Amino acid sequence: MITLTINDKEITLDKPLTVLEAARQAGIKIPTLCYHEALKPYGGCRLCVVEVERMPRLQTACTLMAADGMVVKTESDTVSKVRRGILEFLLINHPLDCPYCDKAGECELQDLVNKYGPTVGRYIEEKRRVPESHKDEIFTRNMSRCVVCTRCVRMCGDVQGASAISIMGRGNRSRMEPFSAESFNCEYCGNCLTVCPVGAILSRLYIHSFRPWQVDKEVETICSYCGVGCSLVAQVRDDAIKRVIPRMGFGLNKGLLCSRGRFGYEYINSGERLKTPLVRKDGKLVESTWSEALGIVADKLMKVKNSHGGSALAGIASPRCSNEDNYVFQKFMRMACGTNNIDSISRTGFAAAQKYFEDLLGQGTTANIIEGLKNSETIFILGGDPTAINPILGLAIREAARRGAKIAVLGNAKGLERFKTLQLVPSVFKEADVLEALLNEIYNVKGLRGENPALDKGIRALYEKAAAAFDMQGFDNLKKILLDSASTAVVLGMDLLQRTDGHRSLFAIAGLIYLLEARLYLLSEKPNEQGVVDTGCVPDMLPGGRPLGIHDFKRKFEAAWNGVIPENEGLTLLEIIEGAKNKKIKALYIMGENPVFNLPNESFVSEALKSLDFLVVQDIFLTETAEIADVVLPALGWTEKTGTYTNLERRIQLQKKAVETSNGMEDWKIIAEISNKMGYRMNFADSKEVMDEIAKVSPLYRDLTYQEISKGNCLWPYNGEPLRGEISEAPAVFKTANEYKGDFYLAVEKPLFHSGTLSRRSPALMKIYSEPALKVSVKTAEKLGLNEGDRVQFFTQIGSKEAIVSIDESIKDNRVYYSNNFKGNGIFSLLTFNIDKLTKMPGLEGCEVKIKKL
Amino acid sequence: MEKILLKNIDNPNSADINEYIKVGGYGSLSKALNMQPKEILEEVKKSGLRGRGGAGFPTGMKWSFAIADPNFPKYLLCNADEGEPGTFKDRPILEKNPHLLIEGMAISGYVLGSEFGYVYLRGEYPYAKDVLNKAIKQAHEKNYLGDNILGKGIRFHLAVYQGAGAYICGEETALIESIEGRKGQPRNKPPFPVNAGAWGLPTIVNNVETLSNLPYIVEAGGEAYSKTGNKDCSGPKLFCVSGCVNKPGVFELPMGTSLRDIIYKHAGGIKDGKKLKAVIPGGISTPVLPADSIDCAMDFVSMPKAGSMLGSGAVIVMDESVCMVRVTHRALKFFEHESCGKCVPCREGTEWLRKILERIENGKGREGDVELLSDVAGNISGKTFCPLGDGAAGVVMGMLKHFRNEFEEHVKNGNCKFQI
Amino acid sequence: MFNETVLKEINEIRAKYPDRRSALLPSLYIAQREFGWLSHEAMQFVARTLNLPEAEVRGTASFYAMFKHKPVGRNLIQLCTNVSCMILGSEGLLDFLNKRYGVEPDGTSGDGRFSLVIMECIGACGTAPAMLVNTDFHDNLTEQRIEEILEKYK
Ligand SMILES: Cc1cc2nc3c(=O)[nH]c(=O)nc-3n(C[C@H](O)[C@H](O)[C@H](O)COP(=O)(O)O)c2cc1C
Ligand code: SF4
Ligand code: FES
Repeated sequence: MITLTINDKEITLDKPLTVLEAARQAGIKIPTLCYHEALKPYGGCRLCVVEVERMPRLQTACTLMAADGMVVKTESDTVSKVRRGILEFLLINHPLDCPYCDKAGECELQDLVNKYGPTVGRYIEEKRRVPESHKDEIFTRNMSRCVVCTRCVRMCGDVQGASAISIMGRGNRSRMEPFSAESFNCEYCGNCLTVCPVGAILSRLYIHSFRPWQVDKEVETICSYCGVGCSLVAQVRDDAIKRVIPRMGFGLNKGLLCSRGRFGYEYINSGERLKTPLVRKDGKLVESTWSEALGIVADKLMKVKNSHGGSALAGIASPRCSNEDNYVFQKFMRMACGTNNIDSISRTGFAAAQKYFEDLLGQGTTANIIEGLKNSETIFILGGDPTAINPILGLAIREAARRGAKIAVLGNAKGLERFKTLQLVPSVFKEADVLEALLNEIYNVKGLRGENPALDKGIRALYEKAAAAFDMQGFDNLKKILLDSASTAVVLGMDLLQRTDGHRSLFAIAGLIYLLEARLYLLSEKPNEQGVVDTGCVPDMLPGGRPLGIHDFKRKFEAAWNGVIPENEGLTLLEIIEGAKNKKIKALYIMGENPVFNLPNESFVSEALKSLDFLVVQDIFLTETAEIADVVLPALGWTEKTGTYTNLERRIQLQKKAVETSNGMEDWKIIAEISNKMGYRMNFADSKEVMDEIAKVSPLYRDLTYQEISKGNCLWPYNGEPLRGEISEAPAVFKTANEYKGDFYLAVEKPLFHSGTLSRRSPALMKIYSEPALKVSVKTAEKLGLNEGDRVQFFTQIGSKEAIVSIDESIKDNRVYYSNNFKGNGIFSLLTFNIDKLTKMPGLEGCEVKIKKL
Repeated sequence: MEKILLKNIDNPNSADINEYIKVGGYGSLSKALNMQPKEILEEVKKSGLRGRGGAGFPTGMKWSFAIADPNFPKYLLCNADEGEPGTFKDRPILEKNPHLLIEGMAISGYVLGSEFGYVYLRGEYPYAKDVLNKAIKQAHEKNYLGDNILGKGIRFHLAVYQGAGAYICGEETALIESIEGRKGQPRNKPPFPVNAGAWGLPTIVNNVETLSNLPYIVEAGGEAYSKTGNKDCSGPKLFCVSGCVNKPGVFELPMGTSLRDIIYKHAGGIKDGKKLKAVIPGGISTPVLPADSIDCAMDFVSMPKAGSMLGSGAVIVMDESVCMVRVTHRALKFFEHESCGKCVPCREGTEWLRKILERIENGKGREGDVELLSDVAGNISGKTFCPLGDGAAGVVMGMLKHFRNEFEEHVKNGNCKFQI
Repeated sequence: MFNETVLKEINEIRAKYPDRRSALLPSLYIAQREFGWLSHEAMQFVARTLNLPEAEVRGTASFYAMFKHKPVGRNLIQLCTNVSCMILGSEGLLDFLNKRYGVEPDGTSGDGRFSLVIMECIGACGTAPAMLVNTDFHDNLTEQRIEEILEKYK
């Protein structure tokens, strides 16, 4: 215990704090400029000076540790005079352009000068001028205003780990610059904007558009992009989002954001938004009215159901839609349409993997909090770059690395280049071999745990038929790191599972997690991949993860829903597509998804959908899929409606409405109306009522309310009852005989700056990353004689594309990457797929690629 | 006085290891390795040796802080940044007597339980770099450095790290930042380098001259060493005299030799029969003393009493033809150029001071400028992150204290009567 | 990129320090030796070789006065003008260098033969005024001495 006196107030601390922190805790304000709560103390601005008894000089409160018996004075004539002197120094070269500066009103320097500063200037020489830089598409830099507090640089380096900016020069020639001195070759997280106390770095998205005091309201909500679900504040004026900012210490992201969350919001104001329902007439989509469109949909679906039975209908739900939307959607499919053919794109990765792990390791296996990653001793990362897919989770990994954790990476992971301890890059389609060999060796050392019969048996069986020891550089090191670690986290991306034998890797990873007692994190590209599963948008489970096959559950839901739930498990996503192609499925309802673009083999998918009798697409944009629909229904987007989302930690969070718009209707509401027309009543006044029903009928969400959820710590299993089903037999392994002999392999790029097809409507993100490029390794470039910017044509079995080459040093193998985000230019159109028989994920086959320089 | 630091220095081959051995070199190292590190530490404490880098911190005390935890590896850094203007005392050791330093470091490494030492050498000494590298190689070959020094199972390696033109890197924490491959900006203290310095481990930073005293202390004993100099500050000291004297140069004299003697006895008095006007006694960061204040003992204790500091013992002598405004202006150009930019008062204040001085010197001074100078210097002094800023303010305040009228005349007349 | 010999040299330096970052200053010196100055490309090579962020490489390089961020002439004159040298007339030598060789502080003579920078004390105060030409010390300078000395630098 430390007791000190600040301004005659006795303060007792139970942990070591700086004098500044101690004072703040006690409600005593000490002015600061270089200090920031998210950053390490710096001590550069000297504004926080205080008098400390028995210390000869004034001390900076931000760096001085409080000690027992210390007597501190934070305000005195001496101290005020010093602060005035410091502020005078800061102003001698400051342009004093407040009337023109966008920071005015929220500028720390302005506020400090107002309180402590000099009123007249004694400096008569010419000021140091640095021309304002508009060379970057997103940031403007005005180094005349910079006070060299280095908060931006420390944020960028010590917290974000991008280290894309630095102070160039020294002394009074110091100025913040990116390497190029012009545009920022960075991660565009914009966290530098959060910490800049003055108007030295500003976002061009809002510059000269409003004053901080002119916002009508600020709405605390969550981001709509990925499975992390960061908290942020939407600042609204005239029913438009003016700016998105994080708030320090708030949400699981604690004041940090990534480029998508901070700059990607403008899609919502896009002029391309759908505004009215569209109906196909004479082969063309034409504007229609809600009543006509909804009538057509209800009518058509009823017809198909009556003539072919419920099994001819299917629905595709959306991991971009809320739990309420998805809950209503599955209820509609089951009760109004009479089918369990419900799935989502989550099947191609997250949902399939999640189901696999839950079956083997028990429910809740993936419910681990991101913050916990920071304290891991070892983090094993495979199947994707967490810093691009789930950036804020990626930051936790970087933080762990800084704290000394070992970071072992299997495959390429650009964002961890400077943070990894070890990297293994198995050749394409050899990942399962590596993982099985690893499991065997770990088993050999550790033996079995005897707690999970299925896994025990499966691991032993695998070991018995194992081939000779595995020989790969770094393999033994990886083994040692994993064996030595007392606390291991496994972070799994979906790339290495999207194989025809993806389940082999899944089993090996499950085995490793089991033997190492590791925690599992599944990377999740979309904001509600867990939610679509939990609300029952899967063909084999009812809300709350209740298996359809268990009659007790089914009966309870039937009682609550007042009807009959179809008996048989439905089709999974890719089976639905195949079903459409085979004419088994006649009508398909797609809510917030774009399968034509987002699934491999575009021409196959689009042909399948074209062979349907009836296709409804509900979306906020006229997507590639909507273009071929019979009816298109405009929905509402982010900040236009309220609803809950379940993130990859299985935390339920509330996304709030911030603006009024007449663009469309809530997804759940459209569906409820159709349901009503089809004779199955759904009467919800608002999304809250939907949640109330979920909380009533699903045993997992007992008593959950919006009020409870908005506290932000609603984590699985909430107040509910988790299911602890156990299986005794590990799933069988289907040996596939894929032998690939190509020189180069095409893989899907998961860029940090884009997310599905949503981000292409965000002008800012399009400016940051405007055109896809074929990303190749240094070696590949050498082998093919390619230079940065060369044009190439690349071919797979089913097609070819032209692209610009970009050489990426973080690629360590013969994969070449191309993105699936840009209109008319997705990599999926070049890839075919097979369905993994076990997980029903697509195996991205046909990825051998030939590259020709043009 | 017997020369300890500049011994043998007139021998043209003094930097060669064989010449060094001929005059008894490396004898102390082999003697030291037969002693317990603790015994040697006791001798260092007894010797009263204080750091020669400028601050005068007792070396034995610094070392005992670092030794406190025997389990940690430690680093020994030799501060050969010698950046204080007017200072050129370490250079003769580095260029002509490198083995004295190497032997001193090897002994220190043994005492401190350190296996790696680095000489942080200023970038402006390329010749010294070659000499040192060669000497280190020779010492390695003769087994005075390496994994098994003199067959005693003691390990100590030495490497030279070349600075790149930043005065602030002489400050020990900035030096550590620099050797870690960063900008040389000072670190917060605590933690002090002795607890967490280079690469996060306990680190001892000592000046070249400080470490070069070790062989003698081991050879003759702390007691004998302490006989040289005066009670509070013992041993020999290198004084470097520059400016308007007849015989500028580096002089090895007992600590506490009077400033007058240094100038008149050793440096041959004022050039061209001119009159002494002022002396900067310890390198440019120390306050100036007027001609009538030079009867002071040059040591760490007496100099503050005389209104200045011993600093690095760099005596800059100015005769009656030198304009104090001009000297101050040039000094401030230096501080402005060398300010690392970390803290506001130094970064902005040195620029402002320089600009005021510039206009005064250029005949554009305004009424009130002298007060402004004094006020701005006051706003810097005591508020900066590290002593560099204090030094800048101290120079101005010292000059104003003794030569205020010169500044005022400059403002009033737009020029002065001095040639330089 | 650097050639194999240079990479080897850098790797040997790396081995002397507990952390790769320490090799930054030495590597910048090497890059400056190889390319004459630290172009963006040269700094990029250093960043890649040491797996350090480019911005930090440049930030660090720009802190130190002896790293050159623009091309310099064939010979670099580094003249000290700090107090001891100033008192003994070094500022006058600046004028001389300008008149005689057409080179100004931070500039390069038209023929590319000399570049000039002003130094903050090079530790030769006892024999002031002094300068470094490339890596050689020259002291007790007068106009005449400078002429003699610079003869050797073509
Ligand atoms: C601005 C500044 C510059 C310094 N420059 C040097 C220097 O060039 N050489 C040096 O030995 N010490 C220098 N010092 C002192 C060092 O910080 C440190 O006190 C010294 O290296 C300790 O060694 P010693 O105990 O042997 O003197 C400087 C200190 C400051 C504040
Ligand atoms: S006083 Fe401040 S700006 Fe000046 S050198 Fe020290 S830390 Fe840097
Ligand atoms: S806030 Fe303490 S020095 Fe800046």
